Amino acid sequence: MIVNMGRHHPSMHGVLHLIVTPDGEDVDCEPILGYLHKGMGKIAKNQTIIQYLPYVTQVITLNGSKKLGSIQVPKKASYIRVIMLELSLYDLLEAATGMGMMHNYFHIGGVVTDLPFEQVEGIGIIGGEEEINWSLSSPILQASRIKWDFQKVYHYDCYDKFDLEIQWQKRRFISSLFSLIKKPSRTFELLRQELNARMEAPKGELGIFLIRDQSGFPWRWKIRSLSFINLQIIPHLFKRMKLVDIMTILGSINIIMGELDH
Amino acid sequence: KCGRDKKMQGRLSVWLVKHGLVHRSLGFDYQGIETLQIKPEDWHSIAVILYVYGYNYLRSQCAYDVAPGGLLASVYHLTRIEYGVDQPEEVCIKVFAPRSNPRIPSVFWVWKSSDFQERESYDMLGISYENHPRLKRILMPESWIGRPL
Repeated sequence: MIVNMGRHHPSMHGVLHLIVTPDGEDVDCEPILGYLHKGMGKIAKNQTIIQYLPYVTQVITLNGSKKLGSIQVPKKASYIRVIMLELSLYDLLEAATGMGMMHNYFHIGGVVTDLPFEQVEGIGIIGGEEEINWSLSSPILQASRIKWDFQKVYHYDCYDKFDLEIQWQKRRFISSLFSLIKKPSRTFELLRQELNARMEAPKGELGIFLIRDQSGFPWRWKIRSLSFINLQIIPHLFKRMKLVDIMTILGSINIIMGELDH
Repeated sequence: KCGRDKKMQGRLSVWLVKHGLVHRSLGFDYQGIETLQIKPEDWHSIAVILYVYGYNYLRSQCAYDVAPGGLLASVYHLTRIEYGVDQPEEVCIKVFAPRSNPRIPSVFWVWKSSDFQERESYDMLGISYENHPRLKRILMPESWIGRPL
């Protein structure tokens, strides 16, 4: 018997189609995706960085472009970015920028405007070896007790300045305000190079592989979508699980279809 | 830091030469990550060798056109995940294939995360990954004609 779950389903985290083949109560499944494929990679080829920003409200594009341009980020902006990245609290972002999810807060060279608050406080069964082989990233790796903290390992931004102990359950930060943020200029020179920029997003490691040519537009803009990679283990996780566990397992993988399909 | 000296050979390249494994050093990318070219016919064995060497994490796999009407490239970013390490070793491998018949061995059997990623490269650029367990379109509808990228 074959059961179709999705595409339109309240618990499908967006538009995901699962072809489930239950054998009694045990399940096997095949995920079908692409219903939200927008062609973000293709679109990026014809856009300048500033034009493309609204497509991604994550700092990865800025990290990539920032690195290629060797732009110095002011210290305060650096701290603010760390806090925003780490917390990703939509109510905090909403207070700072007036928008919930499409905030466009991060800009090249810093952030658009200052934080309103003075103090902030943060916040299926698979083995470790297997997870590395499937290229899963941080939250899932850490749930299996693999000590891989992306920011610490890559000295991302100013994480070194925070005295952090990797805590499995909860993270806590205290911020303080610094002086003014500089505004970046609207256009700048970028070198002809390849770059694999990546960052730690709340759900895992997000990457952009960027090949830039002399025209100033990307020759190739590959989005290493973390949900896309994390979804691969779904059939594996479902083995020996019951039909009722599907929703819980999907929830624990924590995918966003918009990001997954890019 | 960026490795602008073209004569400088990367660490992995030196190791591969020592073991008589055919490759070509393509220099370093913007972050100083070593980039190597491997031939399609050698890729399936060198992939296993790299895994044994310690590159256990396939961070990202993608494909691109080298030039209009030119070769197609399949790119693999590999990392070594180890406990308590600072600045892990990374390498970028490129495998070039002719546009007329782009066939590259799949590395699914070495790094499982190439499952979806190779399917995406197949979907978007048309590179055929041999021995992939289920090579079919992933983002575009199955009835789509053409290669978007």
